Amino acid sequence: MITDIKEWRKYLTISDHPKAKKVQPMQNKPIIQVNAISKSFGSFEAVKEVSFHVNRGDVFGFLGPNGAGKSTTIRCLLSLIKPNSGEIKLFGETFSSNRSMILSKIGSIIEKPDFYKYLSAEKNLEIFARISGAQVSRKQIYEMLEFVGLSGREKHRVKGFSHGMKQRLGIAQTLLHKPDLIILDEPTTGLDPQGIIEIRNLILRLKTEQNKTILLSSHQLSEIELIANRMVIINKGKTLVEGTVSELLNQQEVLILLEVDHIEKAMNLINNKFPLSSPELNAAGQIELTLQKNQTALLNKELIQAEILVSALEPKRKLEDFFIKIIGA
Amino acid sequence: MKHLILFVAVLFTGSVFFAQQSKVLSSFLSKLNSVKDYSVNARIVAAVPMIKIKEVNAVLYFKQKDKFKIDTKGIAVLPKQGFIELNQFLATPSKYMSIESVGKEVSGISTIMVTVIPNDESTDVILAKLWIDPKKNVMMSSQLTTKSSGMLTTTYQYSDQIKYGLPSSLVFEIDVKKFKMPKSVAANIHQTKKSADNKDAKGKITIYLTGYKVNKGLSDKVFK
Amino acid sequence: MFLNNTYNEFIKIAAKPRSYIGLIALSVLIAVIIFAMKADGSTYISFVTASFEQTLSFSGDIMNGNLIAFIILQMLIVHIPLLVALVTGDLISGEANMGTIRMLASKPISRAHIVLSKFLAGAIYTLLLTIWLGFLALYVSRWIFGTGDLMVLTSEGLIIHPESDIEWRYLYGFLTAYLSLLTVSTLSICLSAFAENSIGPIVTTMAIIILFTIIGTMDVTVFDTIKPYLFTTHMAAWRSYFEDPVPWEAINESIRILICHNVILISIALFQFTRKDITS
Repeated sequence: MITDIKEWRKYLTISDHPKAKKVQPMQNKPIIQVNAISKSFGSFEAVKEVSFHVNRGDVFGFLGPNGAGKSTTIRCLLSLIKPNSGEIKLFGETFSSNRSMILSKIGSIIEKPDFYKYLSAEKNLEIFARISGAQVSRKQIYEMLEFVGLSGREKHRVKGFSHGMKQRLGIAQTLLHKPDLIILDEPTTGLDPQGIIEIRNLILRLKTEQNKTILLSSHQLSEIELIANRMVIINKGKTLVEGTVSELLNQQEVLILLEVDHIEKAMNLINNKFPLSSPELNAAGQIELTLQKNQTALLNKELIQAEILVSALEPKRKLEDFFIKIIGA
Repeated sequence: MKHLILFVAVLFTGSVFFAQQSKVLSSFLSKLNSVKDYSVNARIVAAVPMIKIKEVNAVLYFKQKDKFKIDTKGIAVLPKQGFIELNQFLATPSKYMSIESVGKEVSGISTIMVTVIPNDESTDVILAKLWIDPKKNVMMSSQLTTKSSGMLTTTYQYSDQIKYGLPSSLVFEIDVKKFKMPKSVAANIHQTKKSADNKDAKGKITIYLTGYKVNKGLSDKVFK
Repeated sequence: MFLNNTYNEFIKIAAKPRSYIGLIALSVLIAVIIFAMKADGSTYISFVTASFEQTLSFSGDIMNGNLIAFIILQMLIVHIPLLVALVTGDLISGEANMGTIRMLASKPISRAHIVLSKFLAGAIYTLLLTIWLGFLALYVSRWIFGTGDLMVLTSEGLIIHPESDIEWRYLYGFLTAYLSLLTVSTLSICLSAFAENSIGPIVTTMAIIILFTIIGTMDVTVFDTIKPYLFTTHMAAWRSYFEDPVPWEAINESIRILICHNVILISIALFQFTRKDITS
């Protein structure tokens, strides 16, 4: 079982990892198909002809700035909101034809997970399990609470839970009935770094060990970049771009973070040897530059030859830049 | 006005009756006095405007000279001045004056009317008229007028206890004109129908008395 | 799924402290009334029988448990609707306020079933409240005051029911009173489907009851056409079982109207909840 995220950093996408289950392209049927859905609240168009699809086994990043329409779209996927137009198919069916079957296969957290504060963690899970469409025993509830790190808190009222604990309970509620599709809307919001890592690890485990399909909406672009294989970016209710992370981020290029002892000397060298790299010094005193993937080793060699000591040479994903560029455009 | 009536009545009845109680009344009372105690089963049937009540069974107890009790499982409606108040009043001849005159026929029996006037104005009884069967010394009808209850007319029927002067049934006629509902308590706020006027101003309570046990020696404990 | 969710709803109702406010309040209110009657009930009775007592006397045990139960019912039937609405008005809007409505509505249970299970749970809670009221009013009163004939004062006069003829009246009376309270419960749940906070439906329910009651009692011809259709007009239908003769036609009419109200209110709530966008 993989718990160390650093190991994952070596790979560009999850699917590159040797332990990731390979899905044959021929078997990749869309589990979510969103076709030109629109939703208005009065005169305000929250979502306008948004389209995307999510294949079985994807970890799908759903990105957009605040107010882009992400939550509205996710609520449409969960039949909480009915679109004014367009079509949504999940597992090949529409809500009007088979709502019960669809929702029985989905586990979700929408915004912050809310529970019945006056009930215990165990009772909350019991209540949701009872209407989840699956037979869930008390033993399974206890096991799930242990899985999310809430062992010993079964009888405690949710009223006394911290945000992180509620988030974990939310995950437990999402997974309890063993859904095929997991929809997570901002699952790491308000969590401390430790909590964020835990959620990230959990998503990875779900993907690699259980081949779950996960739709993940988050502002943590670095997290999406690390764990998602496909994504869509929306803004002002409209789809801007959709595709695989590797295609969208042009994996031939990579952003490098460089820490050296002689910054000026290094900058000069880079400008000479790698004129298209656009090196810049960031606030942390690191040099940021963009190189072709196969130039990373060459850079290292040039710096050593120039007797510039390199204390760190770290490839950094470009999703943030890509995101800002797309949104800005 | 009452004093004038009394004065005239005394004058016109003649000196023969002046300062003498009615003999018919005395005979009636001495018959009643032979009853030291009794208990009797009563079936009370009330037909009073503005009151709906089914037949009630009770047991009546009486012991000389003024002990009286009604034992009923449920609620019984009785005239306020119905039972022993008249007899209690009549038991003390010094407190009243009685005058005989020709009475009406009651249940086919010729009676003598005895008018009883209290000597003391402070008593509740204003006037009593008794229609007595002179042959059997039993009261066939009475009309009692009191300050508190107005006029109460009673008709008596007798059967096997006639030797003691104890009736087998009593029929009371009651004046109900003064009955009124306290609106705040009675009001059904959802009832918009107006309540009926008290057109029929007379009510009737009939008490059937059976199973007399006379002079069996009732204990005082019964009346506690 | 429907029964599962109804069970869930009942767990939620049972876990909320406010659910017990109604039961405790009822107990305290009834205890106060019983204490008052024990201390000075004869004065109360005299007030009722005063105008008869000039000419008549009442023998027997008037102040018995059956009468106390009637007095309790009469006093409290106006106030109990608030205790019902306090819990049922929160059933849908409370979840919206708490945020759990989106968790609930994204489960494989239809929105109609969600609403109907809340109605059913609310109906069961109202039934429990009614049973508790009946137990305290009738059986505790009888235990303290004994039993006997029941003297009831109506606008047409005094009715005295023999003890043997009372039980069925109270049974039907409580059933009809329950139907009245169920209508209040249904109204508050219906309003709850439109709101996203608890206080709104509760206050609105009480405001509607007060308004309709006032309209029903005003002796104004302009309201005469609507009065028979106001549910508050029929909330005192339970009293009719204590009349003689029992006006079965009028009672059946009241029952029909109350049932109609329940059906209409449930339909409105279903229509609203199944169509609404859940944004909370």
